[in-house]
Amino acid sequence: MATLLCVTLTAAYFLIDVRPRHSGGTWMGYSLGALGAALIVWLALLGVRKRAVTAGHYSLKAWVSAHVYLGLSLTVIATLHTGFQFGMNVHTLAYVLMMLVIVSGLFGVWAYASLPNLLSANRGETTRRQMLDALATLDGQLHEAAQPLDRDMAAIVRLSLEKTDIAGGYWQRVFGLYGGCANDRAIERLARARQGARGPEAETLAQIDALLRKKAEALAFARRQVRITALLEGWTFVHVPMTFALLAALTAHIVSVFFYW
Amino acid sequence: MAQEFTLRLITRQAGGGEIVRTRKVEFQDVLIGRGAENDIVLDDLSVDLNHAKITRASPGRVTVEAEGAGGFTLDGREATRAQLDVAGEPRLGFGGYDLVLEPGEDGEVVITVTQREEPHAESVSLFSLKAQIFGRRRMAWIYGLIVFAMCLIVPAAGALFMDHMTIHPDKQWSSGPLSKSHAFLEDDCQACHQKAFVAVRDETCLSCHQTNLDQAATARLATRLKDEGSPNAALAVKEHATHDELLKGAPPPSFPGGMIKAGFQWAFNHPATRCASCHLEHTAPIPEEGTPEGRVKRAATPELAEPFTCGECHDGLKKRLPATDLLDTPDWGRHPGFRPLVTVSAKGEKADVRRIAVSAHPREDSGVIFPHRLHLDPLGGPARQAMQLGADRGYGGTLVCASCHRPDKTGTGFRPIEMERDCSSCHSLAFAGSGANLKFLPHGQVDKVVAGLEAYYAGGGSPSAGSGRRQPGEFAGLSTVQGPRSSAAAAALRTAFAPAGICSDCHTIQRTGGWPGVRVEAVKLTDRFLPRGGFDHSIGAHRGQGAGAFACADCHKAATSDTAQDFLIPDVAKCASCHGKTKAQTPAAASADCSTCHSFHRPSGPALTAQDKLMEAIRGSWETAPAVRQ
Repeated sequence: MATLLCVTLTAAYFLIDVRPRHSGGTWMGYSLGALGAALIVWLALLGVRKRAVTAGHYSLKAWVSAHVYLGLSLTVIATLHTGFQFGMNVHTLAYVLMMLVIVSGLFGVWAYASLPNLLSANRGETTRRQMLDALATLDGQLHEAAQPLDRDMAAIVRLSLEKTDIAGGYWQRVFGLYGGCANDRAIERLARARQGARGPEAETLAQIDALLRKKAEALAFARRQVRITALLEGWTFVHVPMTFALLAALTAHIVSVFFYW
Repeated sequence: MAQEFTLRLITRQAGGGEIVRTRKVEFQDVLIGRGAENDIVLDDLSVDLNHAKITRASPGRVTVEAEGAGGFTLDGREATRAQLDVAGEPRLGFGGYDLVLEPGEDGEVVITVTQREEPHAESVSLFSLKAQIFGRRRMAWIYGLIVFAMCLIVPAAGALFMDHMTIHPDKQWSSGPLSKSHAFLEDDCQACHQKAFVAVRDETCLSCHQTNLDQAATARLATRLKDEGSPNAALAVKEHATHDELLKGAPPPSFPGGMIKAGFQWAFNHPATRCASCHLEHTAPIPEEGTPEGRVKRAATPELAEPFTCGECHDGLKKRLPATDLLDTPDWGRHPGFRPLVTVSAKGEKADVRRIAVSAHPREDSGVIFPHRLHLDPLGGPARQAMQLGADRGYGGTLVCASCHRPDKTGTGFRPIEMERDCSSCHSLAFAGSGANLKFLPHGQVDKVVAGLEAYYAGGGSPSAGSGRRQPGEFAGLSTVQGPRSSAAAAALRTAFAPAGICSDCHTIQRTGGWPGVRVEAVKLTDRFLPRGGFDHSIGAHRGQGAGAFACADCHKAATSDTAQDFLIPDVAKCASCHGKTKAQTPAAASADCSTCHSFHRPSGPALTAQDKLMEAIRGSWETAPAVRQ
């Protein structure tokens, strides 16, 4: 249906000779604009609609499907509405925000189609709780093993125990930026410290080294999960706020046209 | 008095509740550290193996001393050594542990050890982004409100309540640049958009573009525009027809599209009959051919949107405007034949000028006697005389059209024929004197001729021996009732107005009673036969330049015309032999747009190009020299 709509409108755009040329201000421009604005409002209503899960003909599933296809058709409708005239103004702002929403939505379609599989493939049989528990257990063991160590050596273990951030911030999560991970730094510092160690201390340090490396593996595992989850959710942090900004810009776009009629 | 410390170790359980273990230390000091040898073992890695020592100083007082590099906190403050009054129940902090000292029975010191908090266990919500970023909802509202405020509230408030803004928040509402001619208004939206939610009205446009302003008003307008920064004077628009005629003459809205459109225009108070309905501003400029895209920042003039084509209105026009005398021209192929202005009679006070179709073979009576054939004949007398006059007097060869018809300033048309300039080289008005002292008759009015002759002969002049084409002979019609004051003057007058005299060459002379006894029939030469068309003689293809082009003789059959009564303007078919044709049909093929010959606001001329308009604007007016009007 959405494809048919797009093809029809595109054909109409190129076949109908609008004088002097296409823009938002011709009869066709106003029609496309009204259609586009109505669509945007309807698409935004998914946020309301999704809070009521219903089955049947107008199920939430069908609604979301229509949301995706009609949302995509909006790229065609709105672009035709512009008549390919852009500028530094509120009208183009609305268009850009709309395109941001649509592009983020497209990413969401891809994310929802492919990431859940990746997520469960990464997880295997392990639950997220178990991942955290494994890390907590390793931390406990590290804490235990480090008891005989003096202040400086203990500081190395404390670095891993106290400064390791499993998930991190938005970009860290999305791009997996864990270069300065405290656990990794602890491993490096321990490697240097072990060079001079003898006797029982050396044994303890070897044990701690093994634990830190195990923790690094467990961290990498959990962080893959974090990253996929971030990708899965991240687009909504663009899609939803930009939708609000778009609705505001759209209102400004329409009101300003009538204001300076 | 027991010299003991009582240690009370409190361990918090995960499910709440506490386990309390109590033990007594019977030494003078209590050792604190992570090492197993200490009295109080704190398994916190931030605690040193041997961290501190509590020593009894005096009854009720103890000294706390750090053993290594790490200190402790005393009631929240950092310290490495302190003497404490146990009665004050001081609280010492070592890593994640708190030690509270309090007096017990018999001078005992009770030390209660509690772990402040179990290390916080991470929640699974850590995996979700929501844990990390502040709420989507809050972000959404913030972005939405920012855009709403900056893009709608602020500009609207500025537009409504502030007259003179130094910044113009409403500029962001502009959907595109103004054309060059209006660019100076770009910061001043209210210059045109005077009332919110009311479409730009014609009065606004006419506040600058009003035509027929008096001199004072024109000067005031020019000053105002200059102050506002306009680079040009405003064009005074001449209307194609009255507003009322335009409304009635336009075809009714089509069914259903036009009617729906009209309905919307009515509902949204956006009439399509305004100046701004056709002259669009705020549109992205169309890049001119050969100009890289993006280089053109502004169009030269507002973009034109034609609600109707010329043909749509000029088809069945009489049905809608019964009073019109315009013939329908639905398209170029059905352009009616020309109906030029023909001077049917030049006699009388006012010449009788009528529109007569070329196809009706009109005869013109301009009052002048002029055989084109005789003058253009390369072997004829005039040609020979022109050759004798020579190049230094503007001749030198046989006579051609341009020998007499001289282009006007623009080259589109011709200057009116003037006897002295265009004819008198041959048809000399000299009547006396010789060489450099030739005396000329004034041309134009009989009275002046008479006065001139009398003045000359009263001064004792004598007729020249051989002046031009003066013929001997008597003209019996010259009466002597009043009589000339000089018989020489009378003789000269008789000579001039005689049937073969100099005047009779071109004029019809009527004999009358009284003095001077002659009347020259009025002459009315037409400047423009087709005042509603904009035929441009300066165009190369109209001047015989280029393949297939037409020279003068192709349209004007002057070389075979023996009398000035012959009408030498061709019909529209002549135009159609190039206009509307393809290059295959004629190399001189050209477009056949209505605007090639007619301009909407100036139907007497072709549509002006943007460049023309700017030039016109600089000159200050669209007005052209008035042509002959009916």
